[in-house]
Amino acid sequence: MKLLLVYCNHESAPLEVREHLAFPNVDVLSSAYAAWQRRFPDFECVIISTCNRVEICAATEHPNCDITPQQIAGFLSDFHELPQDDFVSSLRSLEGIDVVRHLFAVTASLDSMVLGEPQIVNQVKDAYRKSQQNRACGPITNLLYQRAVSVSAKIRSDTKLSEGRVSIASVAVGEFGKRIFNRFDDKRVLVIGAGAMAEETLRYLHSEGASNITIVNRSPDRAQNLARDFGGQVAAFDTLDNQLANADVIVSTTGASQPIIDRRRFKTVRKAGNRHTIFILDLGAPRDFAADVGTVDDNVFLYDIDDLKTACNENRKARSAELETAHTIVTEATHRFMQDIHHRGTGPVISRLKREWSDISQQELELLFRKLPHLTDSDRESIQRALERIVNKLLHPPLEALKDEAKDGPPEGLLNAMRRLFQLKD
Amino acid sequence: MLNNVQLSCFLLSYLTAFGLEVVSIMRASRVARLTAIGFGIAGLVAHTAYLLIRSREVDLPPLLSSTQDWVLVLAWLAVLLYLAIIALDRTLPLGLFLLPVVLTLIGIALFASDDPHSLLANQDGPIAELAKRRWTMLHAASLLVGTCGVLLGFVLSIMYLIQHRRLRQKVNKAPSVALPNLEKLATLNWWSVVVAVPLLTIGLVAGIILGQLSPETTAVFSFTDPTVLAHAVVWIAMAALFYRLLRQRGASGKTVAWQTVWAFGFLIATIVGLELLTGDGRIDSFHSSTPQHQSEAPEVGA
Repeated sequence: MKLLLVYCNHESAPLEVREHLAFPNVDVLSSAYAAWQRRFPDFECVIISTCNRVEICAATEHPNCDITPQQIAGFLSDFHELPQDDFVSSLRSLEGIDVVRHLFAVTASLDSMVLGEPQIVNQVKDAYRKSQQNRACGPITNLLYQRAVSVSAKIRSDTKLSEGRVSIASVAVGEFGKRIFNRFDDKRVLVIGAGAMAEETLRYLHSEGASNITIVNRSPDRAQNLARDFGGQVAAFDTLDNQLANADVIVSTTGASQPIIDRRRFKTVRKAGNRHTIFILDLGAPRDFAADVGTVDDNVFLYDIDDLKTACNENRKARSAELETAHTIVTEATHRFMQDIHHRGTGPVISRLKREWSDISQQELELLFRKLPHLTDSDRESIQRALERIVNKLLHPPLEALKDEAKDGPPEGLLNAMRRLFQLKD
Repeated sequence: MLNNVQLSCFLLSYLTAFGLEVVSIMRASRVARLTAIGFGIAGLVAHTAYLLIRSREVDLPPLLSSTQDWVLVLAWLAVLLYLAIIALDRTLPLGLFLLPVVLTLIGIALFASDDPHSLLANQDGPIAELAKRRWTMLHAASLLVGTCGVLLGFVLSIMYLIQHRRLRQKVNKAPSVALPNLEKLATLNWWSVVVAVPLLTIGLVAGIILGQLSPETTAVFSFTDPTVLAHAVVWIAMAALFYRLLRQRGASGKTVAWQTVWAFGFLIATIVGLELLTGDGRIDSFHSSTPQHQSEAPEVGA
């Protein structure tokens, strides 16, 4: 088995790099899976692309197939049409058990900017689902991602990581928004985009009293659903400039691959309005607002994901006591997963052994029944059951030995010994 | 001598309170914060006693007795404000901003004249004297509260500018120096200026009327008098800020904050500078404590 992960996240890469490597929407992601399958047909693949990370997990059961981090970097370079030099120093790679440990930690949000945030598990589930839809998953990634989700659930129930301020939105509004505004119930909130992050931010702003909410999204159906949930209204995408001019708080989380608001456009918007204080939270990756939008005038306060790093680190420190317990759960789950994977590797040998012994016992039974034609059906069945029990009891010690051996890695030595002892052929 | 000792007493109390405020922020010490408040209260008690003794000595309210006492009452009011706000919100590091202003005012008072104002020279009949005394009280009190409002606006504006800078530079808040949000600071600043300007106007108008009431033998009122001119310029600057605040509620908070800082600086420089200069008689003004007119009066009369 080969398991390789190449990734960049909020710690290894600045937002400028992450947004260039991101797969911001379904279309881009589908193209990426198609390109992957053309390039690496023997490898399963799951791509996670969020505002904080881009991860490509490759796996195969074929012992003779190999893949390197450089090949995956080459894939990223070709797909995004970016020179490798622009991003390769921001990439990290892991292999084997380290991939499992990392993925479990990521899914449980132990690697998130905001420790314990609930969005990441949905993002991992979504990434896994999209991989399935694009037929890029396989036996290893299926088991790995399903297990990751269950480990995340266990950590959530066994620790207090998910208590308190646990979303990027809540940290952003709590650390910056509340230092700008005294209250939110008299503010006009504009949400651009209607995805999970928009929903999470709205949930927090709503709990802070925000009620004058307008949602602008290219797909009006999703915007309608979100507006209904939070008592807001939907505005057409072509009225965006008007909405920008009137808003006090802007939350932007679109999947656009380029900034949708540049400095010139925003400057025109501000000229039309009264240049009141405005708090912009750009949670998109790639960013929806060009970085220099924040310099249009003194009353514009623009924050992107990377601006929230320090605030999130403070938040992380406050929860560090729960981290130890969470990491212990991750370590145990990682070893259990590896054991299961290694044990799965013994499957073909065990099947062959069972099948051969079963065939032999069947042949012997047929001979016996031919010699003893007077046996009733009931007698025959009893003899058959007894023989099956003998075979199972004889098989039990070698299978247990294999299971024990799989705890420490692939039991290749024992498998070879069994192949030779019982003359099992591939 | 007794007065100087007492003035040094509360000056040192406020200085210690300020030092402890700094320590409490640097070391996140709650004990230092509480001790700072304790020193602030002790200073206020000594400050109050000092003003009462002074008032008894010259047989005039502290506001009317001298330039020194007027500045000390302003400082006293600022300390009272500091302690009242701290009682409402102990997390607010107000002392860090307000106590230096208080210390500066007391420092200015040390050099200001403690001679009684010529405006209250007892050369009229008892009814005219009472009327003049009331006008003087209105003049001094409105200017005092108005100046205190601008002083508060100045402190709020400094806090606003620091908070604004932190937010623009995307600095995460330091836990020990948690400033109020921009909206609250801008609102409080708005109110402090909007209340201060009418009071300064009343003070200025009362001063003009008082000047007209003053007999020529004690002081000569003129619109070209440096005190009147300087105060008129300050008033125009404050009125312009007032107009801007009333007309443009959504004006840039940073610009308003800077304007308030400048207005306060201008106001303090004018009031204190003129009080010091006229108090020492270096500038010939009807507002002088020891006017040249008074010493020259016998010759004119002759």
